[in-house]
Amino acid sequence: MDHTVSSKIILPFSGRTKRNVNEVTNLANAQVNKEYVIKEVKTDDEELKNFLFTLGCYEGETVTVLSVVSDNLVISVKDARYSIDKDLAEAIIV
Amino acid sequence: MKVALAGNPNSGKTTLFNAITGRVEHVGNWAGVTVEKKEGNIKKSLVEGNADIIAVDLPGAYSLSPFTSEESITSEFVKKENPDVIINIVDATNLSRSLFFTTQLLELGIPVVIALNKSDLSKKKGITINVAALSEKLQCPVIETVSTVTRKNGLQDLISAAVSVKGKKQKSPFEGLEVDLTDKKSVEAADKKRFELVKAIVAEVEDRKTSSNRQTRQDAVDRVLAHKWLGIPIFALVMWAVFSISQTYVGPFFADTFVGWIDTFNGWVEGLLGDRVSPVLKAILLDGIIGGVGAVVGFLPLIMVLFFLLALLEDCGYMARVAVVMDRFFKKVGLSGKSIIPMIIGTGCAIPGIMATRTIKNERQRRTTAMLTPFMPCGAKVPVIALFAGVFFNDSAWVGTLMYFVGIALIIIGALIVVRITGEKNKRSYFIMELPEYKFPSIKRALVEMFSRAKAFIVKAGTIILLCNAAVQIMQTFNWKFQVVAEGAENTSILATIASPFAILLIPLGFGVWQLAAASLTGFIAKENVVGTLAVVYSITNFIDTEEFALINGATDVAGVMGLTSAAALAYLMFNLFTPPCFAAIGAMNAEMEDKKWLWGAIAFQLFTGYTVAFVTYQAGTLITTGAFGSGFLPGLIAVTAMIGCVAYLMKKGEQKATAKSALKSA
Repeated sequence: MDHTVSSKIILPFSGRTKRNVNEVTNLANAQVNKEYVIKEVKTDDEELKNFLFTLGCYEGETVTVLSVVSDNLVISVKDARYSIDKDLAEAIIV
Repeated sequence: MKVALAGNPNSGKTTLFNAITGRVEHVGNWAGVTVEKKEGNIKKSLVEGNADIIAVDLPGAYSLSPFTSEESITSEFVKKENPDVIINIVDATNLSRSLFFTTQLLELGIPVVIALNKSDLSKKKGITINVAALSEKLQCPVIETVSTVTRKNGLQDLISAAVSVKGKKQKSPFEGLEVDLTDKKSVEAADKKRFELVKAIVAEVEDRKTSSNRQTRQDAVDRVLAHKWLGIPIFALVMWAVFSISQTYVGPFFADTFVGWIDTFNGWVEGLLGDRVSPVLKAILLDGIIGGVGAVVGFLPLIMVLFFLLALLEDCGYMARVAVVMDRFFKKVGLSGKSIIPMIIGTGCAIPGIMATRTIKNERQRRTTAMLTPFMPCGAKVPVIALFAGVFFNDSAWVGTLMYFVGIALIIIGALIVVRITGEKNKRSYFIMELPEYKFPSIKRALVEMFSRAKAFIVKAGTIILLCNAAVQIMQTFNWKFQVVAEGAENTSILATIASPFAILLIPLGFGVWQLAAASLTGFIAKENVVGTLAVVYSITNFIDTEEFALINGATDVAGVMGLTSAAALAYLMFNLFTPPCFAAIGAMNAEMEDKKWLWGAIAFQLFTGYTVAFVTYQAGTLITTGAFGSGFLPGLIAVTAMIGCVAYLMKKGEQKATAKSALKSA
């Protein structure tokens, strides 16, 4: 959350309504077509975390957002494509 | 000897299972199609020395971890079934993920053979896998397979390999992974190590020309098909095309010929019986059994074409995108994205659809999905739709399309109501779904699917529907004193006296006659019965005219016999589609809900929905077409308002529960 606060302070007059693209904190605001390394999967839902793990989606692994469709993201993890929703994207910290 | 097939979802287990056993289990190009294990004998042509081998197809899983509910179904199976050999189906296009599960299987102490499936696809993608090296690393046989073709598919080698390892001890290549399964930390650490091992193996044996995280044409197609605003119109267009082909063009073309045969058969039997047989018996046989069953079976070609097209859609990978498009709406009403899978399976038959809810972990979401899945028009409802589309609406494709979308709309509204009643609307749910690659659908697979549906349909028509039609004919012929009812006194028949009280309730819906009420009632046994019973009670042996192309010509006649306006016909169609499903589906709901209160609530809700939808359709339709409300408007309005009042009261109570809960949390 610190990031958001600081970005508001640093860029008050930049005229951008969106957050600075350099400040990617989770997959929901990640750039499309760029490889990220997962820092953490932040959720209380242990089952979800375990499930993501078995797909190879855990800290230290790479993930790429390929497109945004119907409010969901299409991501590539290992060699598969998944569609995930915004809530889940926000839980994947990169 | 028993062989278990295990592997990731959508790795092609069921396709391989069908290929080695010759069975025709339903296959879908997406995760979660198989929820129950299936067993079959392996074809003798694949086995050397004619040994009996049973293959067990297990639901797909990504791991055997004891902490995930979906996976535990699979691990339970593996433990309980105690197979002699496990065939691990590994998707050759995704080694790095698939092998994680493999490493776990290798530790069970059961010999493992790896089927490196989809090896044709991986080659096409420029992936080379050193099979010998992989086999050595994992210390188990690895066979390349392509289960979608009939020749040179590696299946014979696979079975011989499975036979040869039976009873042999395989050394697990992952020594030192001894973990305490009850300790979470230890399992996690071990699993991470496992992934490291997999990575090391993949790095050595696999050579990829292109990295898979680059945007491809697939992604471009996704952006259109799963587009926020275009997604639904495209889906509607696709469904309309499906109905247009199956119901307006290709289906009737075959149906005409087919119904001609049934008519000829009817005439032949009539000739055979001659004049010696009593007219009552003759009527039961000709009008009841052959006529009623024939009326239902007449729709067989339409159903076959429909299922052929739906199988193509499923196979090409489109349905997974539909799930993505729908997720947005489902989430807003408190359902999980996973709820879509049962509903799409439900377009075939509601029973496997309801069973597929098992993978939804949240109890309320699972029960709600089981309760709403029957709103999707299933295969048995297709003849009913086709009949009404043909008789009243000129075979228009929009009727079927509309029914699908009304079904979806009712599911969304229903979910919204249920989530309020249970007072759990703030529950968050995540959505993740694998997007399979688009591919050219297999014609062969679609044909197989089509014939298996056709067979099931014929079997049902020849058993349960035949019996029902005979019963209806008998009940219509006799009165309670077992005398044949006289002409003009049809209202005294057993059937009429049973159905009449229900018919009164249906007056505000525009179809308050005992014949239609009786057809709806028999529909609870099997929805095809609606068509069969209508044929019997109105003595119409065929709804599809043999002359010229057409329901169109016969249309006015049949419509005239039933005496329904278009508005009432549409209302009657919707009433039959959106009231509770057949008893078998209700049984499945009972099994998955595991709660009597939910079950009765669900049935009451389905009755409420069917009644209300039919009421609104009939009254609004009549108002538009004639400028005045239809018959029984006031009593109907009172009944519907009372029901809505009940639902609103329950919703309010649920809301209070929710507020109390959140107050408790914040305190």
